[in-house]
Amino acid sequence: MTKAMKALSRRELLRRSALTAVGATGLAGCATTAGAARQSRQAQVKPGERISLTFWTWEPLQDAVALWNREHPDIHVTMQIIPGGSSGGYQKMYAALRSGKPPDIAHVEYQELAAFMLVQGLTNLRPYGIDKYHSRYVEWQWRQGLFGNGVYTVPWASGPMGMFYRKDLFKKWGIQPPQTWDEFEQAARTVRRKDSHAYLHSFPSSNSAWFEGLAWQAGGHWVRTDGDEWIIDIANPQTRKVAQFWDRLIADDLVTIENDGQSAWYKQIQQGTLGSFVTADWYDALLRDNAPNTSGKWLATRMPQWTRGAKTAANWGGSSLAVLQGSRYPQQAMEFGIWLSTDIRAINLSIPQGSGWPGADNAYSRTVLSKPDKFFSNQRYNAIFVEADANIDKSWRFLPTNDSAVSHMNDAFAAAIATKSSIADTLSDVQSRVIDDMKAKNLKVRGASS
Amino acid sequence: MALPARQRRAVLALTAPFFAFFLLAFVAPICYAIYESLLKVNRSGPLGLGGSSLEFAGLSNYSLALRQSDFLQSFGRVLLFGVVQVPVMIVLATALALLLEMLSARWAGFFRAVYFLPYGVPGVIASLLWGFLYVPGVSPIVSLIHDMGINVNFLGYHTILWSIANIAVWEFAGYNMLIIVAQLKSIPHDLIEAARVDGAGIWRIDWHVRLPLIKPALTLTLVFSIIGTLQLFTEPQVLMTYTGYITTNYTPNLSAYNQSFTNNNTNLASAEAVILALVAAVLSFGFLKLVTRRSNR
Repeated sequence: MTKAMKALSRRELLRRSALTAVGATGLAGCATTAGAARQSRQAQVKPGERISLTFWTWEPLQDAVALWNREHPDIHVTMQIIPGGSSGGYQKMYAALRSGKPPDIAHVEYQELAAFMLVQGLTNLRPYGIDKYHSRYVEWQWRQGLFGNGVYTVPWASGPMGMFYRKDLFKKWGIQPPQTWDEFEQAARTVRRKDSHAYLHSFPSSNSAWFEGLAWQAGGHWVRTDGDEWIIDIANPQTRKVAQFWDRLIADDLVTIENDGQSAWYKQIQQGTLGSFVTADWYDALLRDNAPNTSGKWLATRMPQWTRGAKTAANWGGSSLAVLQGSRYPQQAMEFGIWLSTDIRAINLSIPQGSGWPGADNAYSRTVLSKPDKFFSNQRYNAIFVEADANIDKSWRFLPTNDSAVSHMNDAFAAAIATKSSIADTLSDVQSRVIDDMKAKNLKVRGASS
Repeated sequence: MALPARQRRAVLALTAPFFAFFLLAFVAPICYAIYESLLKVNRSGPLGLGGSSLEFAGLSNYSLALRQSDFLQSFGRVLLFGVVQVPVMIVLATALALLLEMLSARWAGFFRAVYFLPYGVPGVIASLLWGFLYVPGVSPIVSLIHDMGINVNFLGYHTILWSIANIAVWEFAGYNMLIIVAQLKSIPHDLIEAARVDGAGIWRIDWHVRLPLIKPALTLTLVFSIIGTLQLFTEPQVLMTYTGYITTNYTPNLSAYNQSFTNNNTNLASAEAVILALVAAVLSFGFLKLVTRRSNR
């Protein structure tokens, strides 16, 4: 091929691709809304008419949905398993909202609700009479769905935090379950002295959703609003206190740096070189499944306190059932959500699937939660989480860019730990990144100190 | 060079499926990404919760992306990765290809298949496998090294980039080898024979005859590798679940992915993706230009 031919064909190629580009942009020009393309509007249902709802979730709730479908022949729910939340599930929902073909109801984690509000993706359920069900739900979970004058979601499940510990190892090390964080530090020191291979606890360098729970317990609110403006306050004194506490434990080698839930962490749990984990109730199933050899050696207790005698708990994880904007049957979708989250049989079918702590109030005594468990030394260990659930700061709000904030914190903490510097010192940097994220989304936002 | 009408129709019919998919799955998404990257979301109402609309943003998403230090650092990281990983892999691929030339046909075929095999393992699976080989307490390799008294953490802050590079070499060395082998096969045998008669040893034949003749193949593999390096995604994304030291902005692709999937800012994500494509284009065409200018001289 000569040079001239080459140049010619390249020019020709450019011309053709330019033409196709114009065509494709014309095609793409349809989507112009940033939020939901379609508003929820109740369609008339004639008596005896059979309607169909679509339900998107990443939890294996087939049994509960099948039960609903048996009992409600007029309202058929089709459940579709989607990728978990920020692993692609939300992106799928956002895309569905933009295209105007969303599912009627979907699982949305509490920390993601504000992000869905930013795209007007949720249906206000107040006009459909959700208020009369208010008393059926745990108060702080109910409040997560309140924005402006609306109620935008049906509470589903949460993760009240406590502490799982190995009673056999604690006995061997001669320590008691720590009541306070001071005692926790002392116990961690004792463990290191008694056994150079073992640790009381690990610090997950990349699990800031867990750290957020600890900040929640300490009363370190990350976001508030001032009139029309978001105020970001991640580097607040309470959160700093929590970070500095772990800084000290890390510096003195009193905790091992290992992300919970990963292979290396489970290995240490199985080997008995890790004695405890301050965590959400739903970790019960994970421990049971991943460390079966430790069955019968575990107990649960209240999470350590900043003030002796207090019972302040916190939450890690949890989700709600949101009627997405664009549904034609918001009334029926809401009713299904309420049934799924409060019907005792539905709860009993969901809990073994790892659905977490029910959003329904007073579920404990009426469900499988109150059964003693062999893995947890035949303790009625969920009683610990009943108390925890009642002692969660109800006023906690999540950041409208919570997932992204948690990612920034993971990155910052991991780097700080690797370079042996302080995680507490990264908080203001994380804060400014969160502010940048929100500015990039055209939100009015400022840091608390400025 | 005009083709008869019948042949032209045949060409059109035979290439149409390719171009249909090429337009639909390649050109259209690129154009859509460019379009998305030029928009921004305008918010109204208290706290921005009242309503939102899309409006033309000019190049503001691009300037925003270029002001993000994490995004810029991710380019530095993949460039560092490429400067080390690409030469190692290409040298290894070339060495393997030349070694195969020395073997008898039967054994050459066997080893060629063996070396190529890793490429048949999907990237996700390869990363999962290697991930387990890196995890202390699970990996037999780590235990073995520890038993030898060497303390090494493959998933550490300073080592993880090179652990990813190792996976990339394992995956793609065999593939690149195959491209080089194909070109080696096309070298006329009498050329090698002539060199041998002239008294050249195996090293001299490789260095002065074979290597210059496989230069086009080397150029091709290098360009593929440069593009592949910039697009690094699967391996770090999978290894993320094994270590905390792979950040959400570890590579440019991960950064764009997270802007879209974690932060739901598809406009900024599109701008990042377009920037990445531009950098890849500049680097690979720049490299090609460099190589052709040198060979013309």
